[in-house]
Order: sequence, then structure tokens, then C-alpha cells
Amino acid sequence: MAADRKDVPKIDSAELKELTEKLMTACHILDHEGVTDGYGHISVRVPGADAFVTIANVSPGCVTRDRLIMQDLDGNYLDGAKTPPNEWPIHSCILKARPEIVSVAHTHSKWSTIFSVLPIKLKPMHHYGKFLSADGPPLYEGIGLVRTVERGNELAAALGNGPVVLLRAHGDAVVGESVEQVIERTTRLAMLGEWNHLALLHGEPRYLTAEELEVYNADQRFPMRGWEYYVSRLEGKR
Amino acid sequence: MAASESSTPAFDSIELQELKQKLIDGCHILDREGITDGFGHVSVRVPGTEAFLTIANVSPGCATLERLVMLDLNGKCLGGINVPPYEWPIHACILKARPEVMSVCHTHSKWSSLFSVLKGGLRPLHVYARFLPIAGPPVYPAAGLIGTIERGVALAASLKDSAAVLMRAHGDAVVGTSLEEAILRTIRLAFVSELAHMAVAHGEPLYMSEEELATFSADQAFPARPWEYYLSRVQERHSP
Repeated sequence: MAADRKDVPKIDSAELKELTEKLMTACHILDHEGVTDGYGHISVRVPGADAFVTIANVSPGCVTRDRLIMQDLDGNYLDGAKTPPNEWPIHSCILKARPEIVSVAHTHSKWSTIFSVLPIKLKPMHHYGKFLSADGPPLYEGIGLVRTVERGNELAAALGNGPVVLLRAHGDAVVGESVEQVIERTTRLAMLGEWNHLALLHGEPRYLTAEELEVYNADQRFPMRGWEYYVSRLEGKR
Repeated sequence: MAASESSTPAFDSIELQELKQKLIDGCHILDREGITDGFGHVSVRVPGTEAFLTIANVSPGCATLERLVMLDLNGKCLGGINVPPYEWPIHACILKARPEVMSVCHTHSKWSSLFSVLKGGLRPLHVYARFLPIAGPPVYPAAGLIGTIERGVALAASLKDSAAVLMRAHGDAVVGTSLEEAILRTIRLAFVSELAHMAVAHGEPLYMSEEELATFSADQAFPARPWEYYLSRVQERHSP
């Protein structure tokens, strides 16, 4: 493990500059779009290493370069600010269980939280939900913050191979193969939660079926328009 | 066909400048009013031709004069940035089916998306809804993005003679005999849907009758005043 660490670039290295910039932008986007409040965090895997960078016990909307931290997948401190987020095992345990995953977001989104405690599931009724399965995201039932590796492993097990897990009375964890994808999924999960809430006030809406979701996924593209748009909003252009 | 193409003004001609600016303004208005997010697009027919202008795979709120494309009704690029929106057939197929239509808006409006999956229709309950049919706008029921002519033709068939079609689990397409009218209708569709949503939460609202709707529709006025208003809201945001 110690040998591995020699291969891990420093958090302020030129090599990681673009990735850490993107991580901070992503935090600011979730804040600006009203998905995070004073809590929540996003992580990004250090390419080719068993390490990740996340925010060092600071609100996503307040993150700055000197408040980033790098840890290994056992939570050992590697570099940067010395105060890991309380719930670092959310990131380390999911990144360990899912080698293809590059980024994890954890939020206390109002819309995830509400569906985490309702008997009815948050299901795709718009193609923005095409990354979900027809019966909606699974639920991690455990109560309490995810501050131990044991709980982190339980959470990763509840997530399974999916893109999202809701945390009961708590919020969500969303994963993706890039920071941009995680932001798209996290913002869309919140939109869908709101839209499900609105629709359910009228009775049972017409959901997308598994077959219909496949049709949308066959149209799969990942345009960077969404990211560009959210960045433009951060810059106060709109 | 060749004759009409040769009469289409060049993309960079002075003749199209005003129309392009109006298209950008329309996009920014929809963004400012919270109707579009990162997605959606507006098109405008080049008057007297079988060509239209739309935004080149950019969010409506981020649209600029440098990010426009001109297409013919078969999707062939006639000028501008050659990255048409993925769903260009929404525009091409509707403009082809409806020669009187000058402009088409496609959005993922929260309110259209909502009524697109509800079992009750979006019935008119406010004067702003006078452009809608009495039973509410038709719903295009199929899943999938409108990435092909075949799907575009099916969407135009659902729209038929209406001013708006809801697209199930997707959003809406709204048309107008001018760009201003299409934008205004898109905003009003969202407004009326929100009203209907709130009203239905209280029980069955008092909807407009067919006769009442006909009375209001006879009062059609050109939407110059609301256009001025919405444009002022966009400009307010951009001023220091």
C-alpha cells in the first residue's frame, strides 16, 4: 500500500489541476442549483490510483482549492487539507466496490430525502430518469451517518450495480463514470423527485416501462450541453 | 425544390440578421422564464423558403449568433455551425406539415412534462389558454427522442392542427405563426399547467366551456406587448 502511494500524484500537482478544478466546479453547481445545502460532498477518483479527492469538511458551496483532501480507499490521509468529511466511507467504499466508477456525489437533496421515507418509489416518468431502472433506485435503510467502513460497505451493497441509492431519512449517493455525469444524474434525480411529487398529487402517473427506458437508452448520448449550461449559470450569465 | 433552395438567402446575409437576433432573444426568454434548462430548442422558418434557423446543439440560455445553424426541411445543413440539435426532425417535420407555422419551440418544461404523464388532460381554465383545444393539447405517446424523420412525422401527426403537443415523459412542442407567438404560447402553456396543477389539488376547478373559449379566441391580438415585457426581463439580467 505504501508502495502504491508513491505513484499517487500530489493534490496540487499540474497533473491533477484540471480534475480538482472540475471537482470544485461540480460542488458549486450542486450548491447553485439548490441540491446541496451546508452538507454533502463529491469525490473523484485519482486516475489509475486507489485514491480519491474530496472536500475537506466544508460545504460544497464554500469549497476552495486549499480545502480539498486526498485519501486512499481505506480512508488513510494522503495529501491536502487534514479534515476528511465525516462520511468519507461513502466514497471510499463505493469506489472500492465499483472500479468503473470515477465520481460519487452525496447530498441531502430535499427530493431524495422525501422519497427515502415514502412508501411509494421515485420512478422514471421522464426521460431524464433513463439512467434509473423502471422500479426506481434502491433504498439504504440504515439510520445514522455513514462514518464507518462497515456502514460504507452496507451502503455500497445497497447501491449494487446501480447509479443511485437513496439513504433513508438522509439523502442520496449518486455515482458516474465522470464528474460531469454525476452532476447530470444528481441534478436530474432532484428534478425527477420534484416531478414525481407533483404528479403523485394527481394520482398514479404513467411511468416509463423497462422497455421504453431501453428505447431511450438506445438513443444514448452524453451531451456536454448540460455541464456548459450549469457552468454558465455559476458565472452569473443567467 | 431546387428553385426554392436557390432563393434561400445565404446564412450570413444581412437579410437574416434580424431574424437570427429574434431567435436568440426567444431562446434567452425561455431560459429566463425558467421554461428551458440545459436542453430544448427554438426554430424559425426563413420567410418564403423551405429552410429554418435553429440553435446549434447549445442550451437555449447559452445561444449566441455564432452558434446557429440553417437547415432545409430534410435536415440538410445550409449554413452556420453544422451541429444541428439531435432532435432537428421536431422542427423540420412540423414546418413541413404546417406551412402556416413560422416557428416551433421544443422544451422539457416541468409543467408540460407533468401533464404529459397524468391521466387527466390539461383543460383550459384561464384566458391565457385560449390557444388550446377544449380537451387540452394532444399527447404524443411514444418513448424515444425525436431523432429520426419517422418519429418527427409521427409527432407532427399528433400535433395535427393544434398549437401545442405534449410529448409523454419528455416535454412539449409549441408552434406559432410568428416566433413571438410560439414563445408566448410556450410560456403560457407552462403558466396554465401550473395553474391547473394547483387548482386540481383543491378539487375539480371551473374549466372554460367551448363557447367561452371561442369568445376569447376571437379576441386574438399580436403578442407585441408581452414580447417587449419578456425581453426587458432578459435585458435587466444582463445589465450591470
